[in-house]
Amino acid sequence: MKTCNFVLSGLGGQGILFMTKILAQTALNKGYNILGAETHGMAQRGGSVVSHLKIGDAGSSLIRAGAGDFLISMDAAEAYRFLPWVRPGGMVFVNGSNDRFPDERVTPFLAEHHITCFAMEAGKTALELGAPRSTNLAMVAFFSAFGQGPLEAEALRTTVEAASPDSVKQINLKIFDVCHDEGRKLC
Amino acid sequence: MKQAFLLGNGAMALGLLEAGCQVLTSYPGTPSSEILPETVRFSKAADLNTVIEWSVNEKVAFDNAFAAAISGKRAACCMKMVGLNVAADSFMSAAYIGNIGGFVVISCDDPGPHSSQTEQDSRFMARIAKVPVLDPASPQEARAMIKAAFDISEEFQVPVLVRPAIRICHARQNISYEELKSNLTPAVFTREPTRWASTPKFRFLQHKALNEKHVKIAEKFNTLVPYNRHTIQPEQTFALGIVVGGVPSAVVEDLFAEFNRDDIPMLKLGAPYPFPENLANQFMDACDRVLVIEETDTVIEYMLRDRHKTWGRLTGHVPMEGELVPEKILALVNQALSESGLPPLSTTDTATQAFALTASLDLPIRKPTLCPGCPHRASFYAIRKAVPKAIYPSDIGCYTLGSNLGGVDTVLDMGAGITMASGFWHAFQQDGKAKPIIATMGDSTFFHSGTTGLINAVYNDARFVLVILDNGITAMTGMQPAITQGARVDGRKGNAIALETIVKGCGVDYLQVVDPYDVDHTIAEIKKAHEWALSPEGGIAVIISRHPCVIGLRDQALPQIFEVEITDECDDCGLCHLRFECPAMVRNPDKKKTEINPVLCSGCGVCLNICPKNAVQTVS
Ligand code: SF4
Ligand code: SF4
Ligand code: SF4
Repeated sequence: MKTCNFVLSGLGGQGILFMTKILAQTALNKGYNILGAETHGMAQRGGSVVSHLKIGDAGSSLIRAGAGDFLISMDAAEAYRFLPWVRPGGMVFVNGSNDRFPDERVTPFLAEHHITCFAMEAGKTALELGAPRSTNLAMVAFFSAFGQGPLEAEALRTTVEAASPDSVKQINLKIFDVCHDEGRKLC
Repeated sequence: MKQAFLLGNGAMALGLLEAGCQVLTSYPGTPSSEILPETVRFSKAADLNTVIEWSVNEKVAFDNAFAAAISGKRAACCMKMVGLNVAADSFMSAAYIGNIGGFVVISCDDPGPHSSQTEQDSRFMARIAKVPVLDPASPQEARAMIKAAFDISEEFQVPVLVRPAIRICHARQNISYEELKSNLTPAVFTREPTRWASTPKFRFLQHKALNEKHVKIAEKFNTLVPYNRHTIQPEQTFALGIVVGGVPSAVVEDLFAEFNRDDIPMLKLGAPYPFPENLANQFMDACDRVLVIEETDTVIEYMLRDRHKTWGRLTGHVPMEGELVPEKILALVNQALSESGLPPLSTTDTATQAFALTASLDLPIRKPTLCPGCPHRASFYAIRKAVPKAIYPSDIGCYTLGSNLGGVDTVLDMGAGITMASGFWHAFQQDGKAKPIIATMGDSTFFHSGTTGLINAVYNDARFVLVILDNGITAMTGMQPAITQGARVDGRKGNAIALETIVKGCGVDYLQVVDPYDVDHTIAEIKKAHEWALSPEGGIAVIISRHPCVIGLRDQALPQIFEVEITDECDDCGLCHLRFECPAMVRNPDKKKTEINPVLCSGCGVCLNICPKNAVQTVS
């Protein structure tokens, strides 16, 4: 079976590993094998952080540049930095403003390789709803709206619910629903 | 069979306990750090009596585990690859002496490097020491190999090295595993001075015995399926074959599967040393050419003796440095295929074009920084203020990032903050110059490798200020407990050791303790210490700059939270974000002034003392 490949990017401290865990746990719940690669150590101190996740049967953890199905990024600059990992026909989801993303310098490349991009101000939404640190799962919710890949929105939402501590569970689910609906408007 | 979703380091923890490992020791270092805490977690969950310790350094860890192994128990020690350098003396000697209970050394490599000072290949260290090596391709295989390593170690009474690379350690995979246990083998020590304390005459005999073991182990490795294997049948011939070990073997297998290529034979050497000569010869004989893809150096390539057939690093087919990421492997396999007149795996390549495009975008350079509120930032700021024209030898830990504040001039290895400081002193002194030198070192590093250098510096009358950055925790590698706090990894109480006692015990007369959050006081104390060090009756002056890590010990570190703002007095001088470089202080280019990012700000309040315009104020 071909694997479904997620590349998740952002900055140290933005919760990329938690975002990876949500996707991975959902895949596990559905009975898939998973294999991923994480950033630890020096690079986590505010540097650029990337996490790879392969859903399905794989032997090696890194996704090859040009073989990622989905890039979900917590930051526009980190989306550009990891754009080379997206395969032709792949999709990019970015925490940022739709008017500013993508940069006109990359649009010809995106068009040539049929890569589609969707941006949403997930950070702003999460802040307004009272949990700026939940921007990561806001992005998962945004992605889930597009119905792509083997992980359905409902299954992702269930994992978010189970993985959130009680103190933020309701807020997180609210953020999930709002951002999912935001995404639906763009499909 | 049970299932868990784990880091490779967690998978190896399971492997250790499935094998019944009774004693595990380690010193933390990326990418190895999580193996030991994960073993604690599983050992506790299964209610085992495994003895597990964070040791003071890797050599200490090695020796402690080795003693258990020659008492008949299954023992292991784990470390990052540069840690194996620290343990090298023991490692070399232990191979000759051998063990009774299985003894496994896990040395984690960092091709890239991502979080290390070199890209060295632990398999080479094993060759020097004449220690057998297993080189896993995936977390699941690493788990299984640890059991195999114990069995081989016990069968041949020799230490076995398992070499996982960072893509094993920090891969995350669903892992199935069996029953966890700690063997019940009692410790028995039989006196045998010719073995355990042998003189050179007996060392010669031990060396001979080791060489004989190698012949037998190599024979075993010829048929050690699934770790060593190829797919070639007798009478088959091929234009090109691929020889792989470790992580690249998984990458190559995935690539062949992805592009549906079963026409290229592969020799996997997961147990490359002692070299399985027969297996390799079968493969070499059937191929006109072989391409060797291994990390990080040329271990297999050197051992394949046919120079005319072998392509790899030595022929320029594989890059000499850097991690062999999948896109690189794809490119070099394609290149070798085309040189052999075979069709490439793929013809499309969007990545190269995309990398060029990304490079043209001038993306922000994100260098790692000290956390907002990090006590080290305050210390480095004070050091730079107190003695601006000094050499700043430093060391390995979060505080290496003090380079961003101009407070770190040299980083050689663990302990060199002190040893290089004394070296600089004497080098300048020879020319009649009293060079100002302010050295820095973290508390864990000081225990790991600082004391010998400090004793040496005092003894040989060097003059400098040593600032020990005591943040109460081993932060960089994931918040392991500090010796100064006395807590052990499994939660049991240890005996805390005060830095002050050690420093004085090393013969240092001048010692002050400061809190770096009190910036002005710290600057004054460093100045005073510096003047004393260079005075005729001076010597080594030590300042312990003590404040807890804001991440690992948040509540202790921030007893009071300051809500700060930047007033209109700010004249955009840039000092706070460029020199002091707090990530929470950001320049607003439209307003031409600095602003505080409230999401990042820890509320440490240190910035209240640093602005020349006094533009940082608490929110009233
Ligand atoms: S983890 Fe602690 S010691 Fe390390 S940079 Fe952050 S605050 Fe400083
Ligand atoms: S806040 Fe102070 S230090 Fe920072 S840029 Fe403004 S004037 Fe300079
Ligand atoms: S902005 Fe000031 S108070 Fe906030 S983390 Fe930085 S130095 Fe501390």
